[in-house]
Amino acid sequence: MIAKKVLLVGNFGVGKTSLIRRFVLNQFSEDYISTIGVRVSSKIVQFENQEIKLLIWDVAGTSGNEKIPKAYFLGASAAMYVFDLSREETYVSIDNYLESIKELSGLKDIIVVGNKKDLLTQEELESVINTVSVKIDLITSAKEDENVENAFLQLASQAIK
Amino acid sequence: MIPAKIDDVFIQITTSLSGVILNITAGKFLQKEFNAQESIYKTCPFLEGTLDALEISAPFLLEGMVLVSDFTEYNVDIELFKSAKNISVLIHNRTNVYKYLEQLNQNRNDIFFVKRQLAEKNIELDKLRKIADKANEEKSRFLAMMSHEIRNPLNVILGYAAMISEESINNSVKEYLKLLSLSGEHLKVIVNDILDLSRIEAGKLVLVNSPINIKEISKHCIENYRHQNTNTAVELLLEVSEKVPYLVLGDNVRINQILSNLLSNALKFTEKGEISIVVTVVSEDEKSVNIAFLVSDSGRGMTTAQTFEIFDEYQQNKKTDNRVHGGAGLGLSIVKRLLKAMNGRISVDSELGKGTVFKAEIPFLKETHQKSEVVKKIKTLASKSLRGKRILVADDDALNQTIVAHILTKENVTLTQVKDGLEALDILKTTIFDVVLLDIHMPNITGEQLVQQKKEFKKENRDIPFLALTANTAPEDLKRYKNIGFKSVIGKPYTSVSFLEQIGLTLN
Repeated sequence: MIAKKVLLVGNFGVGKTSLIRRFVLNQFSEDYISTIGVRVSSKIVQFENQEIKLLIWDVAGTSGNEKIPKAYFLGASAAMYVFDLSREETYVSIDNYLESIKELSGLKDIIVVGNKKDLLTQEELESVINTVSVKIDLITSAKEDENVENAFLQLASQAIK
Repeated sequence: MIPAKIDDVFIQITTSLSGVILNITAGKFLQKEFNAQESIYKTCPFLEGTLDALEISAPFLLEGMVLVSDFTEYNVDIELFKSAKNISVLIHNRTNVYKYLEQLNQNRNDIFFVKRQLAEKNIELDKLRKIADKANEEKSRFLAMMSHEIRNPLNVILGYAAMISEESINNSVKEYLKLLSLSGEHLKVIVNDILDLSRIEAGKLVLVNSPINIKEISKHCIENYRHQNTNTAVELLLEVSEKVPYLVLGDNVRINQILSNLLSNALKFTEKGEISIVVTVVSEDEKSVNIAFLVSDSGRGMTTAQTFEIFDEYQQNKKTDNRVHGGAGLGLSIVKRLLKAMNGRISVDSELGKGTVFKAEIPFLKETHQKSEVVKKIKTLASKSLRGKRILVADDDALNQTIVAHILTKENVTLTQVKDGLEALDILKTTIFDVVLLDIHMPNITGEQLVQQKKEFKKENRDIPFLALTANTAPEDLKRYKNIGFKSVIGKPYTSVSFLEQIGLTLN
């Protein structure tokens, strides 16, 4: 079995920890507890007939121009940038964030996930999709367990490339 | 030798290149979690993948990692150093430091979300406020329009009632006319009350601060009601303390309105006995004086519960009150609001079957320059005769024209009447007048348009006083009329006395 280190990054309060809790423990809580430093969870996934142990780094959310310590990316195979579909400030400068993460991690592609779909109407969602300047890989809702597994499978796929 | 306490906050481990613990070099932090020949990844899962990627002989620092032991989380910083043979792992316990950092971070993020919610709520509130303001403006506009529409016919009703009363009529008709006039006057009070309340609610009440004589206002008010009161079983009394200053700074009209409303209320509910206004000084210093107006009656009185409700709008203690006594139940509510605007207050003391005492207290600034001439001057001006004056009246309403003609003819003026603004303009180009009265809403040229065309008038007519004859009597209307060239305004409905008084004042 191969182990792959993957990271979840993004603004604070976008739901990174909630996505991991949903994926690893199938749990969700409305309470917001900010993450400090890094918590690592692991889960074994089946992908293309092979077992992959995903070592998921839940990196503390950033604010504004805060940078993620470069050390966290050492040995990382893939990363997911999570933004909150209901908070413009988490995606308004998304292309700059992605460039910065690519530079720090040395990764060529970052998976882009828009979370908290449950807070938007279909019309609002379409408006956000049209506003975000980069391609959104997946729209998720950790609360309603929508597309969460797909997002991590895509991350696993990216990790073994 | 490392002191025991320092020993507890770190641990230094040597592992193989694949992460198997070889030995513990120093320190005791979470010692039981790290055993020789076991994988370090069991306790430090974040090192899996990281150790493989370390560069040889390059120190590496990982900050803020989380370790779990016996269901307790520890925040640690980790220093790594990889050699060709093994890896040195130095783990520092920084839980205390990160605990504060975590709290600060949580607070920062919580504040962010609370601020965001507040901002959203404020936007919502702002929208609701704008909707409410708009609705209020619409209401005020509607009330102003209705007031105008009511005042015009009311002027005709009251004017003709006054004219008929001067004819030879029998006593029954005289009595009917009196009741007709009384109802008209009641309607006028209701219209004024509704407009006042709407104005106060909309925050448009502007108080004047000019020298006023409290004794004169009180006297005038009680004389006015003495004149109107037909019930000989009720006596009206006035007592003004000698300590009340001759002049204070205040709003003449609004003080009169407060006293009138209280007096009118007392008259409604007193069948016999007496009603009095007592004016006293509660306290005073060099610059200000606190004056109390006590309006007492020997009427039916109220229960304590009723006294709590009487200042609410449309409140009358018995359902039949508005039928028997008239009024919309706004008078006392207006009094309370006016007093609040004057930083004053009102209290009520009442006993069922014995009577009621309203006490209105108002703080006034003293008028230090005793200009007693002000009051005298006004009186002199009002009594000026109009005999022989050349007066032009333009009004498209024939009924109103008749009333105006009736009043002015008795004053022996030289009266010219025209039926619209265009006719008025023509005659103002050729004939000299002493004063011009213009209705505002007239066909062809309105009163407002005409007064702004003075350059086209005969030279002698350019500086004579123009008066607006209108039912638009809101302060902003009065201000606008004066700004565009009217010297004064005669508000409808008017009495012959108030009509002549306004013209007399203007001519002087």
